[in-house]
Amino acid sequence: MSSVAKTVQPVAKKKKFRTGQLILGILLGIYTLFCLLPVVLVFIVAFSSNDSITTKGFSYFPSSFALEGFEYVFRYGKQLLVSYGVTITVTVVGTFVGLLFMSMYAYSISRRDFRIRKFFAIFMIFPMLFSGGQMASYVIFTQMYHLKDSIWLLILPLSVTTMNVIILRTYVATSVPEELMDSARIDGAGEYRTFFQIVLPLMKPALAAVGFMMATAYWNDWQNALLYIESESKTPLQLLLVRIQKSIEFLLNSKDISGSALAAMQGNIPQYSCIMATVIMVVGPILVVYPFFQKYFIKGLTVGSVKG
Amino acid sequence: MKGFMHNTWKHRAHFLMCMPAFLVLLLFSYIPMTGLVMAFKKFDYGLGIWNSSWNGIDNFKFVLASGDTFWRMTKNTLLYYVVFTIVGTGASIALAIALDNFIKKKLGKTFQTIMIAPVFISFAAVQFIVYAFFNGSDGIVNSMIELFGGTPVRWYTHASSWPAILTIVKIWNSVGYGSVLYMSVLAGIDTGLYEAAQIDGANKRQQILHITLPALVPMITTMLLLGVGGIMHSDTGLFYQVTRNSGILYSTTQVIDSYVLNAVITGANPGFTAATTFYQSIVGLLLILGANGLVRKLAPDNALF
Repeated sequence: MSSVAKTVQPVAKKKKFRTGQLILGILLGIYTLFCLLPVVLVFIVAFSSNDSITTKGFSYFPSSFALEGFEYVFRYGKQLLVSYGVTITVTVVGTFVGLLFMSMYAYSISRRDFRIRKFFAIFMIFPMLFSGGQMASYVIFTQMYHLKDSIWLLILPLSVTTMNVIILRTYVATSVPEELMDSARIDGAGEYRTFFQIVLPLMKPALAAVGFMMATAYWNDWQNALLYIESESKTPLQLLLVRIQKSIEFLLNSKDISGSALAAMQGNIPQYSCIMATVIMVVGPILVVYPFFQKYFIKGLTVGSVKG
Repeated sequence: MKGFMHNTWKHRAHFLMCMPAFLVLLLFSYIPMTGLVMAFKKFDYGLGIWNSSWNGIDNFKFVLASGDTFWRMTKNTLLYYVVFTIVGTGASIALAIALDNFIKKKLGKTFQTIMIAPVFISFAAVQFIVYAFFNGSDGIVNSMIELFGGTPVRWYTHASSWPAILTIVKIWNSVGYGSVLYMSVLAGIDTGLYEAAQIDGANKRQQILHITLPALVPMITTMLLLGVGGIMHSDTGLFYQVTRNSGILYSTTQVIDSYVLNAVITGANPGFTAATTFYQSIVGLLLILGANGLVRKLAPDNALF
């Protein structure tokens, strides 16, 4: 085996190398287009005229462009604005509360001389193995806690997750030096001060990673909203999308439709340009923000995969 | 015991800092577990869990007797799990190796940013995109078929196409994201290994086979193992939203999670649903314990616990 390589011509090798890279580049480019084109379609349809969609169907090359979709969105803007408010509140509050709760937990169970930490560690891991399931949760949350139509059900259940605690704990264990905490204590800093003023700032990269993942999960959560939220004033963006879709079906089957959706559509079956414009309003913020967080969440994913 | 209490008192600050997350888990994960007892009750939404009367294993008998729905959704759940795991893991690894070998790092980064993006689009939004491609009268796919002289298909009533459609959507959604983890492992491989292999005359394919893939094995095991816990669960959004929860498609698209979600929303068949979720939770637990036990025997370092 080892004697084969010595006669390779450098020129030939370089050329072969180049074609190899070219093919690789083309394949990667094709896959990138596969990922990108569906998103591009959303934008094109949102800016297509309704005429084009009715006559030509969905198309990357509409017969004419127009702003009708967005005009429509801004006309029914009130419910959209309310939904933005709900989604932003849930996302911001949930992410901050969750990060605070989970980092305190992660920090505490990574203190080696804290003996009850073993119990807390198992307590945190078990929900990953076993859960009550959707139905039991639904019945307990609505009948025992009486939280039907409460915004807390959009915030609290997602605020503490096993995977995120593991990521934070691993980060504390590997990247926050024990000596630093010890010396802070010797210098007379209390436990809380050690945590908030020394440990928490050092956890920033992990907090950014986990925080971004949490924010995305909150922003994109439609399931809890669909199960628990009834009032229009508490309808988040994703539920608005679900309701728009449901009401198209309902309208086509000419049945009753939900008030918020009807208000949103002003009694008409919404045109697809309008729906896609709404989709842009809903997913746009995440797609704009995400590239700035990319390096953090890549780091976070990587840290989390090293089990502690 | 005294030492333990003393230790806990000494660390009361840490104990207190554990409390908020502890309470959230208790209220929103642990107490709902007790709700599983309703599988053994003649559950009535009006009466609630504790006031409904016991009926032993009647619900389970009913589930087994009713046959079709139950087996169909179990089969779909498991089949999609297997297909998504094999295709998803394979594609993620292939993509990671491809990106890792691509010399134009800057272009590669841009590609990667675009490939990851779909994972951040909620399924409530994705379903509109899928509809734009697959709807029967004016979708893109049918326009293409007509362009090439074929006959258009009414996809939303054509159940047998959905395993393929859902797999494509799943790949689109998650493979770019899935490759990130494997790329981080690849970045950690000592380049000296490749150089040594090159000197020994190994070509690219041999290098991938003998250096790259073995280096990925621990990560693959961990990811598969983490995935086993979710074997009885599915990406509900994919099956509930993307298929528009359409009854015509249930034969190939209904999974346990989407069935339960639908049943909870409509309030239909509470006994059946309770028994199903019980079965889902227990089987899920047994599977992950079994898989972890197996890995602990074969490769103790890769076991989860």
